[in-house]
Amino acid sequence: MTQQSAAASSATSGSGLLLQLTNPKVYVSLLALSLVLVIPLVSGSPFLIHVFVTICVFAALSTAWNIVGGYAGQLSLGHMMFYGIGAYTTALLIQHFGLTPWIGMWIGAVIAAVVAALIGYPCFRLRGPFFSLSTIAFLEVIRLLAIHFVGFTGGSAGLIVPLKLGWAWMVFSDKTNYLYIAFGLLLLTIGVSLAIRTSRLGYYLTAVREREDAALAAGISNSDVKLKAVIVSAMLTALIGAFHAMYLTFLEPATMFSLGTSIEVAMFSLIGGLGTVAGPLLGTVLVVPLAELARGWLGAQANGLHGFVYGTVLVLITLTLPAGLVGTFGPTVSRWIDRLPGGGRRPAERIAPALRKLEGAKGEPILTTKNLVMQFGGLTATDNVSITLKRGEILGIIGPNGAGKTTLFNQMSGFLIPTSGTVAVAGPNGAMVTPASPDGFARLGVGRTFQIVQPFGRLSVIENIMIGAFLRHPNVQDARAVALRVAATVGLLDQKDVEARNLPIGALKRLEVARTLASEPDILLLDEVMAGQNQSDTMRMVELIRSIRDTGVTVIAIEHNMQAIMSLSDRIVVIDNGRMIAEGDPREVVKDRKVIEAYLGEDFVDAQGF
Amino acid sequence: MDVLIQLLINGIMLGSMYAIISVGLTLIFGVVRVVNFAHGEFLMVGMYAVYLLFAKLGVHPYVAAVPVVILLFLLGVLIQRFIIQPLLDADEHIQIFATVGLSTALVNLALMVFGADLYSVSAPDLRQSLRLGPYTVLVGQVVMLAASLALVIGLHAFMQTTALGRAIRATAQNRTAALLMGVRVDRIYIISFGLGAACVGLAAALVSPLFPATPTVGTYFVLTAFVVVVLGGMRSMYGAFLGAMIIGLVDSLSAYYIAPDLKEVVYFAIFILILIFKPTGLFGFGRGTE
Repeated sequence: MTQQSAAASSATSGSGLLLQLTNPKVYVSLLALSLVLVIPLVSGSPFLIHVFVTICVFAALSTAWNIVGGYAGQLSLGHMMFYGIGAYTTALLIQHFGLTPWIGMWIGAVIAAVVAALIGYPCFRLRGPFFSLSTIAFLEVIRLLAIHFVGFTGGSAGLIVPLKLGWAWMVFSDKTNYLYIAFGLLLLTIGVSLAIRTSRLGYYLTAVREREDAALAAGISNSDVKLKAVIVSAMLTALIGAFHAMYLTFLEPATMFSLGTSIEVAMFSLIGGLGTVAGPLLGTVLVVPLAELARGWLGAQANGLHGFVYGTVLVLITLTLPAGLVGTFGPTVSRWIDRLPGGGRRPAERIAPALRKLEGAKGEPILTTKNLVMQFGGLTATDNVSITLKRGEILGIIGPNGAGKTTLFNQMSGFLIPTSGTVAVAGPNGAMVTPASPDGFARLGVGRTFQIVQPFGRLSVIENIMIGAFLRHPNVQDARAVALRVAATVGLLDQKDVEARNLPIGALKRLEVARTLASEPDILLLDEVMAGQNQSDTMRMVELIRSIRDTGVTVIAIEHNMQAIMSLSDRIVVIDNGRMIAEGDPREVVKDRKVIEAYLGEDFVDAQGF
Repeated sequence: MDVLIQLLINGIMLGSMYAIISVGLTLIFGVVRVVNFAHGEFLMVGMYAVYLLFAKLGVHPYVAAVPVVILLFLLGVLIQRFIIQPLLDADEHIQIFATVGLSTALVNLALMVFGADLYSVSAPDLRQSLRLGPYTVLVGQVVMLAASLALVIGLHAFMQTTALGRAIRATAQNRTAALLMGVRVDRIYIISFGLGAACVGLAAALVSPLFPATPTVGTYFVLTAFVVVVLGGMRSMYGAFLGAMIIGLVDSLSAYYIAPDLKEVVYFAIFILILIFKPTGLFGFGRGTE
């Protein structure tokens, strides 16, 4: 980031607060949120206060769950384990050590964070339903253990919170105090959720949820990002659990570690809109009062009724509104709100200045492969390939279909670990190093595109490019400025707000290049970026690749478009059957007998009399 | 020694019960590729149906198997057609929510209709003990073992020898290719889901004499069934059968040697370890869970 842009961003944040408060999106949200506090306080009815405390608790739980279930797309159905851990830790610390719940709840949160990390790390690689099942299994294990160790937890009989009144002990005879705390927790949770959503972490979580491979190529460590989400979510859930236990004054394993409640919390998010900031609150506000009223009116007759309604609503929502209320109606409501006073302002867009010129001596080795061998069962896809990529060159890789070109790329970018042989990249201090993971390669400056394009379909074009830009620019505004510059370079500026899944293939190929380019790589691995482009787009791509090289980036490109690759490359490597059969100047290589044979067959070579 | 052998016998008997419940789950996952969280509730519905036939009409539970299997087949068909099929191309988490929602709705529907009371089918002939030297088993358990073996072998034969079975296997392996070969994939999915549910109908008839029906009986069994299916490698009938036997033995042994209320902890621990370290299942059948 240049000094100029740093100064610019601090200037906007100075007058930012007032500017934000006059933005209708902000003041409408704040007004709506304050209703959760104002309605019960004005009414003064104990029943309403109870209902709103419950709303605050469940909205906060659902908002916390949404960080993992929505943003990260990891559908935890065992989230109440963190709630229970917070609750039991706090209650036991009061009972045995006389520790105030204000401190105990944070100890509970830390324990929940540790448990979340221990569970999350191994389970994150499980696919959708199996992740959900494993979280259910963990919840059941913890619940059964809580029942088993009677001496510690009170077992099935439960545990009563020591009733010492006052703020220090979080137990009150005046129920409005509970409402203040519950509302505070709701604000805290929504604040954290909003902060994540609008930060680099939020974008990264979306990227990981949408496409793990493309996220890795953008230098994102999938497990780190998910781990952060689950730890934050678990801590918030534990804090809320601790408070709720103080409110209920009674803990038993069946309600503290309940699968049913875990599902309910997830359901509120789904109804409101998975992965949205306001969704979980909205879902809770709609459903909880109905359930509480039904319980109040019908009493024991309603046994099972609210669960039946919950289940049915859940099925209906998945069939009719899978994006939830916010996901479906959000954009429309947002346009209405923009018509209010002060609305519709768009901050001026900033375009980042051109990229620094890369340093390093031209022609020095920047990436080397030594005797690479890659075997898939009996098939040898890469057979003893040694390539040295020199800084500043454009290296073309050609070869017939199935020759093993993409497999080679996958090894050069860390997506495949070679069976034998090594890949090494020039590190920051000039030494050659081998990163351990694809995101490690990306951080060292190896940027790659995918032959089968991997856009983040639900993100806009500019957001897709920002995912790449975040690698070197953690600040959202800076990343956006860089992304705008790159979008202009590849000719996607006009489509910057289009959702990526709506782009035609030619534009998707350019987006693929743009996202990689935004990560400001030293080495750019391009896998058939000209396939699917029309004539004029191809010309533009050739020009683009040249101009990228002129900024000092080293390019290595797999291509089937012979005319383009021959005119572009300084050097050509030909791969056939996993082996390197020719290497050298483009004009020499095309005349090589082995190369013609590989493409056109032996008969052709003989007939032409080479 | 006697105790150990009795425990092993109990384990195998328990295993055959888990096997007969898990076979349908394997079938549905293997073909439709949907993890059916409402599977246990199918069992619950079947058990209430068996109970009603027994209590109102005096039908023996084993005779009740015939109408209950048909009922569950139809239930499966309707659920596949109207809930799962519209969501086949939706995100995985939407499918999870749909079957979780279905499960919640069915449990609570049962609670509204039948209350929380236990309903037992009294079939004294099936609860009789058979003596084998110093060891005992219940008649109903022996029937269950025989039935679960017959079901697994029968389903396997059906899949291998009939045209429909081949179409189901083709669909399971590659939906698009099957479609291109003229297999009506939607219909295969509906039939497979129906068959999976029908297997649970059979299980309900066999389990009813030994276990009372409650709204949550399905939740109790389905988690075990998931453990079994994951252990067996997700898509293999025989894998599921072996997985069920292992869980049956673990259940029986750990209840005695560790603590009765911790047996589930033991097999959930196995479940989690398998998911993490050997996602293709214990025997390497199937393609696993990643």
